[in-house]
Amino acid sequence: MAAKQGAAATTYSPKPLVRTRPPIFKDSDLDWTRPDGRGFHQCRPALLQTGAVSSASGSAYAEFGNTKVIVSVFGPRESKKAMSYSDVGRLNCDVTYTTFASTGTDHKEFSSMLHKALEGVIMMESFPKTTVDVFALVLESGGSDLPVVISCASLALADAGIMMYDLITAVSVSCIGKSLMIDPVTEEEGCEDGSFTMTCMPSRYEITQLTITGEWTTPNINEAMQLCLDACSKLGEIMRDCLKQAASASEELT
Amino acid sequence: MVGLSISEQHFVKGGIAQDLRTDGRKRLTYRPIYVETGVIPQANGSARVRIGGTDVIASVKAEIGRPSSLQPDKGKVAVFIDCSPTAEPTFGGRGGEELSSELALALQRCLLGGKSGAGAGINLSLLVIKEGKVCWDLYIDGLVISSDGNLLDALGAAIKAALANTAIPKVNVSTEVADNEQPEIDISDEEYQQFDTSGVPVIVTLTKVGTHYIADATAEEESQMSSAVSISVNRSGHICGLTKRGGSGLDPSVILDMISVAKHVSETLMNKLDSEISAAEACEDES
Amino acid sequence: MGLPDSTQDLSSEMDVDAFRRIFPLRFFERHLSESLRPDARPLGKARDTIVNLGLVSTADGSALAKIGSTTMLAAIRMEVMTPSTDSPDEGCIAIEFHMPPICSPTVRPGRPAEAAPVISKRLSDTILSSGMIDLKELCLVSGKAAWMSYLDIYCLDADGSLFDAALLSAVAAFSNLKIPVVALNDNGRIVAINGEGEEESNASKKEAVNKEKRKLTLKNVPSSLTCILHKSYILADPTAEEESIMDTLVTVVLDSSDQMVSFYKSGGNVLAYSSAIKSCVELAKKRGKELKQILGEMDID
Repeated sequence: MAAKQGAAATTYSPKPLVRTRPPIFKDSDLDWTRPDGRGFHQCRPALLQTGAVSSASGSAYAEFGNTKVIVSVFGPRESKKAMSYSDVGRLNCDVTYTTFASTGTDHKEFSSMLHKALEGVIMMESFPKTTVDVFALVLESGGSDLPVVISCASLALADAGIMMYDLITAVSVSCIGKSLMIDPVTEEEGCEDGSFTMTCMPSRYEITQLTITGEWTTPNINEAMQLCLDACSKLGEIMRDCLKQAASASEELT
Repeated sequence: MVGLSISEQHFVKGGIAQDLRTDGRKRLTYRPIYVETGVIPQANGSARVRIGGTDVIASVKAEIGRPSSLQPDKGKVAVFIDCSPTAEPTFGGRGGEELSSELALALQRCLLGGKSGAGAGINLSLLVIKEGKVCWDLYIDGLVISSDGNLLDALGAAIKAALANTAIPKVNVSTEVADNEQPEIDISDEEYQQFDTSGVPVIVTLTKVGTHYIADATAEEESQMSSAVSISVNRSGHICGLTKRGGSGLDPSVILDMISVAKHVSETLMNKLDSEISAAEACEDES
Repeated sequence: MGLPDSTQDLSSEMDVDAFRRIFPLRFFERHLSESLRPDARPLGKARDTIVNLGLVSTADGSALAKIGSTTMLAAIRMEVMTPSTDSPDEGCIAIEFHMPPICSPTVRPGRPAEAAPVISKRLSDTILSSGMIDLKELCLVSGKAAWMSYLDIYCLDADGSLFDAALLSAVAAFSNLKIPVVALNDNGRIVAINGEGEEESNASKKEAVNKEKRKLTLKNVPSSLTCILHKSYILADPTAEEESIMDTLVTVVLDSSDQMVSFYKSGGNVLAYSSAIKSCVELAKKRGKELKQILGEMDID
């Protein structure tokens, strides 16, 4: 049996891997609909839940359409890497994908991008000498993975009782032809002309991270930013409700 | 890392607040830029760019490759950055690796455009020799020799200059081949094609220190920054990529303001760079 | 461990949580003497078990199994391979068990958990030797093409009895597996036939190779139960806390006709008497019936 497993070197998926621009995304025609039938400025329904992992200090599960993510927060705990004394805490982030989550794209940069999105909002001085670990696992990739991971991580941090200035919410916008679409799915991301990902603190109205790729005109950037800000504040409310529900549920128990 | 005493910190910040920086510049003025092209003879194109104390080299190597099955009508471009430990002791080991990958990612974002390839600074369709079969793979390597702030802008400028310096050999492809065979190729030794760099953007990094933001920050000034936004702008004034660094948040209106300022600054930078590049090219031809 | 007398005295004054942390073994033994466990279970009872099917849309078959708070997500991807010359009409199954850093505070990124490869090996031994799946059913074109099924099991929450939960999720994922309909194209490669694809019009004209074989027949479904042996007590389905305090674990795997598939006892302090092993097997039989019912409740179509 063992010999047979070793023979796994050359296998291929029977599903063809061709990513051409589907005929519905015409440049000029604005009548087409999105693959999941949403409006251009409509986000996917968000399912959020705290306390997904019992052994973690805090955790959250997020499901936006087909994008499913679990984030666990451990700590504050002893720093494992031998490092010098520091009177502010450390943040350590890691994002991994399951083998069945998506087809062959690597996301090495996501860990450092998650770190950058979170470091500005956590009160690092509240846990000196120790480390908070934020680990994310993408169970299924269905588009806008990084924004979902970031929002889910901020929920998990809140669940762990790590002090933050505000919740962090992230949303991305894809530009295809002349249209802007919020919260794109994988098919849309695959053929986008430009992407706009924004992370912000909805209550403080501050942007902590912003990345733009592709060619954008200023009016487009203004529009995308407004779309993202609106979506972020809505998502922030949903996340707050989720935390309130979890808190009141635990109050009832005690 | 730069260690500044408290009074030095106040001096740097105070100068920025009064629009007179420690080296006498205004907030949005660049340091003088020197460009030298053809510094690495083995590469298809190379350039060295110096902005003040920041010194970087970029080289472009072209190799024959196969287009990916997802985009059969496009060539491939890969960007690697190496931060030499000679430039800064902290670049040795993992600190340098992290910075290198961060810079490479930001440059890729600025040069290569969206996933569909729209808005790319390098026109990938021009790199195709035969659709689905043969294309050029461009390997862009950047090396940081000395660092005095504003690495991303310097690397962006060096890559633009190196691409302008790049000559790609003409290739003849045998036309009749079966569907699943690789065609024979013949790379010409004499005929070269100059690379078109009109679409390659420049990168402008605006660094926020205190309540103001400055262009082309030195390492001293960067040590006092709260956040920085790198914006790449092409000749037609469109934004081709944007990366925000630094942890602290920014108000949306400030970012929009920075974008319009960056556009303005980029025009002067682009003109300055273009004239420097053509001067360097002329200088290289003479020698 | 402190002197028995002093801890006895302390226990009356101390907070329960503090006592649990400082004298974990004593805490558990006090419970065991009452034939009850800290989570209010009798000794031989497993935790509540839930199985959900088809959660991962990118996989061909998937299942989530929860035993107490131990959570496993298993998913199967089907790929095509050229079978080896020794067995031209057999497919292959590759099983891997992952413990990502999210599942437990002891796992850190870059340093895989020690337990993961052990469980991985035991799972693949158990599944392949149980005869649950006839590898011949994975054949597409004899000698030319066969299915390679990649089964990946991710531990989402590690709270003891990892092997039991992983095996349960693996079995459920196989029951959920829908093999894609494929055809052989001109180049000798296997391609999927999509119902809607207009571009695939050439392919859809081709005869499907596996029209009938859309599901695997599962026979001799294995089920397992892990028990802790401590002194004369037998604790079924331990939690992570119990596993960390008492270290003699016995895992019994039985198939659907109660035949033993595998038996596993890792070292530990307690030597197992044959009577103890017999009771473990009895508990596993009972557990097997429970699991069969749980799997049977799901509408497997």
